[in-house]
Amino acid sequence: MGDVLTDAAERRTVRIEVNGRSCARAVEPRLLLVDFLRHDLRLTGTHVGCAHGVCGACTVLIDGQPARSCLAFAIQMDGACIRTVESLASGGALHPVQQAFHEQHGLQCGYCTPGFLIATVALLERNPQPDDAQIRAALAGQLCRCTGYVNIVKAVKSAAQKVAAERIAAEKVATEKIATEKIAAEKPAKTPAPEPLRGG
Amino acid sequence: MKPAPFSYVAPASLQQAAAILAAHAGEARVLAGGQSLIPLMNLRVAAPRLLIDLGRCAELSYIRRDGEALALGAMVRQAEAEHSPLVKELCPLLAATLPYVGHPVIRSRGTVCGSLAHADRVAELPGVAVALGAELVAEGPAGRRIIAADDFFVADLTTALRPDEILREVRFPIAPAHTRSGFLKSGVRHHDLALVGIAAEVTLEGGRIARARLAAVGVGPRPVRLREAEARLTGAAASPHGIAERCSVSGLETGDDAYASARYRMRLTQGLLARVLRSLLADG
Amino acid sequence: MSVSGIPAPSIIGQRIPRVEDSRLLRGLGCYVDDVPEPPGTLHLAFVLSPHAHARIMRVGRDAARRMPGVVDVLAGADFLHVKPQQADLPQRGYQVVPRPVMAIDRVRFVGELVAVVIAEDRYRAEDAAEQVEIEYEPLAAVVEAETACAPGAPTIHEGTRDNVIFQASFKSEGFDAAFDGAGLVVQDRFDSARLAIVSIEPRGCLAIHDPGRDGLTFYTGTQIPHIVRSSLAELLDWDERSIRVIAPDVGGGFGMKAYLYPEEVITAAIARRLQCAVKWICDRREDLMTSNHSRDYRFDVALAFDRDGTLRAVKADILCNIGAYPLSPFGSSVEAGGAALYLPGPYRLKHYAFTTRAVATHTCPTGVYRGVAAPVAFFATEGLMDRAARILGVDPVEIRRRNILQPSEFPYVNVLGIRYNNGSYAGCLERALQAIGYAEFRREQPPGRLVDGRYRGIGVASIVEHTGQGASRYRDRGLLRIPGYDSALVKLEPNGKAVAWVSQATQGQGHLTVFAQLVADVLGVAVGDVTIVEGDTAQGPYGTGTFASRGAVTGSGAVLRASAQVAEKIRRIAAHMLEASPGDIELIDGRARVKGVPRMGIAIREIAAIAYSVHSRALPPDTDFGLEATNYYDPPVAAITNATHAAQVSIDAVTGLITVERYVVAHDCGRVINPLIVEGQIHGAVVQGRGSVLSEAIRFDSDGQLMTANLLDYRLPTIADVPDIEVLHEETWSADTEGGFKGVGEGGVIGALPAIANAVADALLPFQARIRRLPLTPERVSELMTTPP
Repeated sequence: MGDVLTDAAERRTVRIEVNGRSCARAVEPRLLLVDFLRHDLRLTGTHVGCAHGVCGACTVLIDGQPARSCLAFAIQMDGACIRTVESLASGGALHPVQQAFHEQHGLQCGYCTPGFLIATVALLERNPQPDDAQIRAALAGQLCRCTGYVNIVKAVKSAAQKVAAERIAAEKVATEKIATEKIAAEKPAKTPAPEPLRGG
Repeated sequence: MKPAPFSYVAPASLQQAAAILAAHAGEARVLAGGQSLIPLMNLRVAAPRLLIDLGRCAELSYIRRDGEALALGAMVRQAEAEHSPLVKELCPLLAATLPYVGHPVIRSRGTVCGSLAHADRVAELPGVAVALGAELVAEGPAGRRIIAADDFFVADLTTALRPDEILREVRFPIAPAHTRSGFLKSGVRHHDLALVGIAAEVTLEGGRIARARLAAVGVGPRPVRLREAEARLTGAAASPHGIAERCSVSGLETGDDAYASARYRMRLTQGLLARVLRSLLADG
Repeated sequence: MSVSGIPAPSIIGQRIPRVEDSRLLRGLGCYVDDVPEPPGTLHLAFVLSPHAHARIMRVGRDAARRMPGVVDVLAGADFLHVKPQQADLPQRGYQVVPRPVMAIDRVRFVGELVAVVIAEDRYRAEDAAEQVEIEYEPLAAVVEAETACAPGAPTIHEGTRDNVIFQASFKSEGFDAAFDGAGLVVQDRFDSARLAIVSIEPRGCLAIHDPGRDGLTFYTGTQIPHIVRSSLAELLDWDERSIRVIAPDVGGGFGMKAYLYPEEVITAAIARRLQCAVKWICDRREDLMTSNHSRDYRFDVALAFDRDGTLRAVKADILCNIGAYPLSPFGSSVEAGGAALYLPGPYRLKHYAFTTRAVATHTCPTGVYRGVAAPVAFFATEGLMDRAARILGVDPVEIRRRNILQPSEFPYVNVLGIRYNNGSYAGCLERALQAIGYAEFRREQPPGRLVDGRYRGIGVASIVEHTGQGASRYRDRGLLRIPGYDSALVKLEPNGKAVAWVSQATQGQGHLTVFAQLVADVLGVAVGDVTIVEGDTAQGPYGTGTFASRGAVTGSGAVLRASAQVAEKIRRIAAHMLEASPGDIELIDGRARVKGVPRMGIAIREIAAIAYSVHSRALPPDTDFGLEATNYYDPPVAAITNATHAAQVSIDAVTGLITVERYVVAHDCGRVINPLIVEGQIHGAVVQGRGSVLSEAIRFDSDGQLMTANLLDYRLPTIADVPDIEVLHEETWSADTEGGFKGVGEGGVIGALPAIANAVADALLPFQARIRRLPLTPERVSELMTTPP
């Protein structure tokens, strides 16, 4: 498949996993990934601010790594796994990073925010307890014109604590689960196992 | 700012990529990380008719020791190199410089070789290549060609690569023992594109500088090896005191441009060079 | 905290996190480019002039029309039915200059619209735009304001006498004697580089035509939906009732989106012509080239003092390069006139003289940007205050203490007749100094300023901000297209929850939270039970929109008054039910209850049910059904906000790069509705100010070509460039405006320029550096450090 040339006027079907869902679409070579996400998949949470890779509003996760979706073509993404801002909240609950931005007033117009959220998630993945200088170095590629960044720094610090707390809580639950299962496995059976249901 | 139409191919091997490029030389561009090329395409400053994507060439993702060199294949991402223990061990100047390249999100996709092939006059990695005398390995229809860094960078955005050649690998000499490396740059803002950047490496022996490798970016259309300063430093005591006098860059020539005056660039070169050397020699 | 005798209610003043946030954080916001496109939506790409000044000889469209996906290609001649925009109305001091929506036979700046491609998508539209063949006859371009107003300079517009599109002057009585008799005069020429505004969301619009009704639904990222609607109706000769303008979520405005742009008019016109939906999204290159620029100024300012440091007189000659066309609705005088208004500042001043000119050139039109001319005005005056102090041998703070208005002097009518209502000018000065540790910094500061390879300095600036300007103010200023008032319709729904439609529009200022707090407070309901709706001209009453720090004054005033009327009716109904007098009823926690007898009460939800007859109990006599009220609020005077900014900087002795180490703002915007939001506004404004002081500059070459057409070259501040910013609130409730509120959106920029510049001047004192040109790039600073004074 790799050496098949897609002509400029043709479309090639790509299979991409976006936010956990697999989708197949026919795309022309020059379709930017950000436009594919926004218009083909109607995931409009990722924004276009400059289309030359500077402002960061288009930042998504490609195979777990933060990347500018305005600097990639959809046709390159065959087999890739993409996550956008829409994947952060689960059910009714905000992701801890989102919650931190809310509490610290780390957004005003909200246009740059998805990029910051993704970049922050990626930062905390790599460096769970960044200090002030590390936060600023990691996020200097995301531009905001409304907040002055002051509350964004606070939000990222708060997010680090929330993510760490969540991780500790999850580990605790997992540990307790293992312990409970272990205890259950060691207990003698009091009642016989129920008869498997038979069909018919 | 949408790119012009182009045909696209993502060959599975470098050989195929080279063959396709040879067949379409002049009309095709090679795509690695895309962080330099795609902005130009979105701005319609570049409009290749064919894009040859190296992203499926699994053979190009290596970081390995190869004799006396650290070899990086064309698809090694800047972030991979930045976090590679092998790079840190064998080529500390490259490891020290990578955090200054763009931003972490750019480095996720941008490649080391891509930055070298793009040859922006203020890019950091070309400075490292020139400082260390790296070798750039080109693949073309006539086969493989090794180009010394001094010959590779010709002018702003211009390299010695022929239209039908692909940069397949960069080879950095392995740093000798007792080597200290550092990179500094200065722009208009903090964490900015460089107006001037200095790549510096010193190897110490018996309390003296046995070897100095220095290069500047931003003081000309291509990276400049600061040989005059290197000569004055070789044999000097490995101490930060008195370093400034040895950081002579009077032989450099540069001009005024839209971003900075020649005078300011020279001042930056001198000042940053002294600063980075002082920090490298700080602990004696 | 100075509160004028009214006990603080519970919801106003609270740091409530925003109700706006959840959907924005989830990526479920809906900005213009996110609005679902009706099937068959067509997309526009404009062809921009590559010349700053040229005659258009021919527009060749055939090649472009044949490109795949192209529906049509139009040029200036196709829009003759659209009235030219006329930003200024004929008045003394103005030369009225029309602007056709698309150039017809002449272009006057690089980026002026020359043709438009209509295609199935933006990719194909851009392909075709490249194929439009335009023959130009390039002409000499005038780029600099000084060149444009030199005698004999070619005129940018035919029919004008010269390029001074607006001018005004003023001299207070006795000025000459006061100025000439001064013991000390400090003066300089201050140049600020032109700026681009760069909201992260560029401009854009989606025009959806309804052929059956000849109606238009027009989504646009605008700060002024009602003004856009009226203007579209006027320019397109369309019944205003058929046009609905909707500002959806808007990604930042800052003044740039408070204009009606030709692209918007053209998009609407094409939608009508083709009877379908048409969309245009500005890309970043177009944005830097064509969205309004700002602050291309040369100010010659002189401050005259007595030898004891008392300010006697201020003289200014103001020159603003306003580009090729005045922009609508603010017109050509908003910068030049505004600068003149601000120069007197927060000081006692009896004598003032100014001349001010707005000059046309072959460059992108300029207009308002957060703070407008005030930041540069204070850059000049606060810088000169410091210089005077140094000449007189006193600390810069001392000269301010000597001249700053004291509480006992309010209300103070300044030399221009502008009434400064109560404020805490001296109080904020002292508070800022204390918070930044000014005295200690001075004590430890070495005369040579150099510490560990960095030059360190501290700077202070005291400023005023004219907020919430009403109709009378705009008439006085000659800005006749600005209504000046705002309005609100507040309604309690049958379920007891409230909705308020406000005539403003939000771009991130938190209106949906702040106005909800006001309604909740007056009606006694929970903030979560109040919904604010803005930005849609089909919903809610007519008004001005959001700019010039008006939200907290005009929007709040209308919301409060309308809420009060609804509250009054709630109390009347409750009083009737409870057999009490309405004056004895209070609205708290969702109930209407008798004061002092809390258990005697009725749920507001029940009252709403009564008012809509969803309940069996009857209304009181002489009471209509329904529970809503509309109010139009026009503030009688501008609310003058004050602040003092203090900055500590350090400068790299080698590179000249300036680091802002600490930053403090002590401000007084009257009664604060939500401190969290106020702080956010100040943070954002300060950092925008920092950008214009230290790194942002639009540059043209001598042919008028834009050299800074992308975000690598036009350098915005990043998170690595800013310190923590400490905000201290003083609350001197405004006696003149409803609710006691004043505006606060722009003060951060106004104070940042002078505070940072003064800190830099202080740090570079050993070089006697005259800080008079912005931005203070590292190279410029490096020059100041090496060039002998």
